[in-house]
Amino acid sequence: MSAFQGSKINPTRFHRTQIKYYLFLILLAVFMILPIIFMFSQALKPLNELFLYPPRFLVENPSFKNFYDLINVTSVTVIPMTRFLFNSIVMTASVVVLSILISAMAGFALSKMQFKSKRAIFEANIIALMFVPASVAIPRYLIVNQLGLTDNMLGHIIPLLALPVGLFLIKQFVDQTPNDLIEAAKIDGAGNFGVFWKIVIPIIRPAMATVAILAFQLAWNNTETSEIYMNKETLRTFAFYMTTLTGTGLENRVAGQGIAAAAALIMFVPNLIIFIFLQSRVIDTMAHSGLK
Amino acid sequence: MRNFFAKRREMMTGYMFVSPWLIGFLLFMAWPIYFSLNLSFHKVIISSEGIKKTWLGWDNFKYAFLSDPKYLEELLTFIKSVIFMIPIIIVFAMLVALLINQPIRMKGFFRAIFFLPVVITSGQVVKELFAQGAAAAPIVERYGIVQYIQTNMDPSWGEPLLNIINQLIVILWYSGVQILIFLAGLQKVNTQIYEAASIDGASPWEIFWKITLPSIKPFILVNIIYTTVDLFTNSLNDVIELIKVHMFQIDTGFGYATSLAWIYFTVIFVLLLIVVAIFGRNDDYNPRQAGR
Repeated sequence: MSAFQGSKINPTRFHRTQIKYYLFLILLAVFMILPIIFMFSQALKPLNELFLYPPRFLVENPSFKNFYDLINVTSVTVIPMTRFLFNSIVMTASVVVLSILISAMAGFALSKMQFKSKRAIFEANIIALMFVPASVAIPRYLIVNQLGLTDNMLGHIIPLLALPVGLFLIKQFVDQTPNDLIEAAKIDGAGNFGVFWKIVIPIIRPAMATVAILAFQLAWNNTETSEIYMNKETLRTFAFYMTTLTGTGLENRVAGQGIAAAAALIMFVPNLIIFIFLQSRVIDTMAHSGLK
Repeated sequence: MRNFFAKRREMMTGYMFVSPWLIGFLLFMAWPIYFSLNLSFHKVIISSEGIKKTWLGWDNFKYAFLSDPKYLEELLTFIKSVIFMIPIIIVFAMLVALLINQPIRMKGFFRAIFFLPVVITSGQVVKELFAQGAAAAPIVERYGIVQYIQTNMDPSWGEPLLNIINQLIVILWYSGVQILIFLAGLQKVNTQIYEAASIDGASPWEIFWKITLPSIKPFILVNIIYTTVDLFTNSLNDVIELIKVHMFQIDTGFGYATSLAWIYFTVIFVLLLIVVAIFGRNDDYNPRQAGR
């Protein structure tokens, strides 16, 4: 901190005084990335390296054998893997798009419109954030059953749409929209829908990117709906299929280890891709959400 | 009179915007939460004919506190480890945020790296990492820190501490969002204040304690709340695991599991109230805007 430069803008060139910050940051950054490297390396390890003692962190003779094994295991099942993948993609895409739209609409109304019980709604939402999701599994099943959504593709989608975190983040972000801007648009003849599409949506885009990441993860990694609501094999999702592969389904647990590592990597990569695409916007949101 | 109609119309559009979200929330969050409270006073038997409830009154709760061999112990261990983890996460996040806020290049890159854990720590991926042993930090074992704690500390507090050391990397992962919140706070400090302070001869150390820390104080509270909720509701913790186990056990069943979930929820709620009571007394803090 000796050469304090808080009052200056970012330096344009590398300077000696920066080295100490880089040293710390790079060290910590390595810690953060380590597990990702581990995952890739684990998936590429041949069996003998997976069970090496003491275990090595990095793979020494990388091979794609685990992936071949995975394909072999999956090719003997009756339903092709692409079916599960298709289910997952349809479900994830619908959940992401619809939950963003629904949360954005609700966030806009709760933030900028006057009506009764809007505070109660927002507070109920915050309480829901703190509740253990697993304990509502059975009441939820009862509802899904009543609505006739079991063994129905919609059963994957509808229960996930009202995402409490989503509404929370978006509402905080709509709060930042200046009221004057909305007033001005109304004077110019825009209705509520006009204001929503033309003013609010562009402003809350970063928050929507965040909700997109969260909703994507929720939907893509979700096994609960397949487990509880779906009896038909053909309606289950890729994530669920992956857990059956690595679970008790394999008689040979030793070979299963390698397959599990490969499957975990396949599940993780889409998360990473979405993150890389959306991260700069997300970071913006986190910077604004919940804060004045 | 016209005003009255305009108000009414605004209320109607408000409800219209909220309703898709509200219906989803009521059906899949609010009602299930309420119903689980109801179930927690029953013995619930799930059979092929449906769900059978027998009224038990407070028996489930009595059993949890008086006779359950594991629940209370797990809960206390978990609360203790949370009490250790929160300060570590907050201090670490603040440190990293201060470093990134220094005048260095590639800020965006570092911000992304430290935010990366948000995608890793969700669901399946982090479970897989735990299973593969990627979460432990081997360095601490090598230097005898473990033995030191074992010999010098009371086991009831030493054990949670050891758990934490074993999960050091995971702890660092849970600070992604907190880093961004602190960064947002730091960037809102007017840089002219720093300049003025250094002209007046303040050392960087004094600047940190007298200017930086007070100005990000509200963000510390936000981060403590965020961290508490995050740690308590993430799918990895032992208490939630225990609740899930009880859900499908014949002798205890879903009713008991829901009463455990409600005890857990009450603990989170009380803990948050205590946090707000201790740290939130300051005038510059407004709980309505602080968020979760």
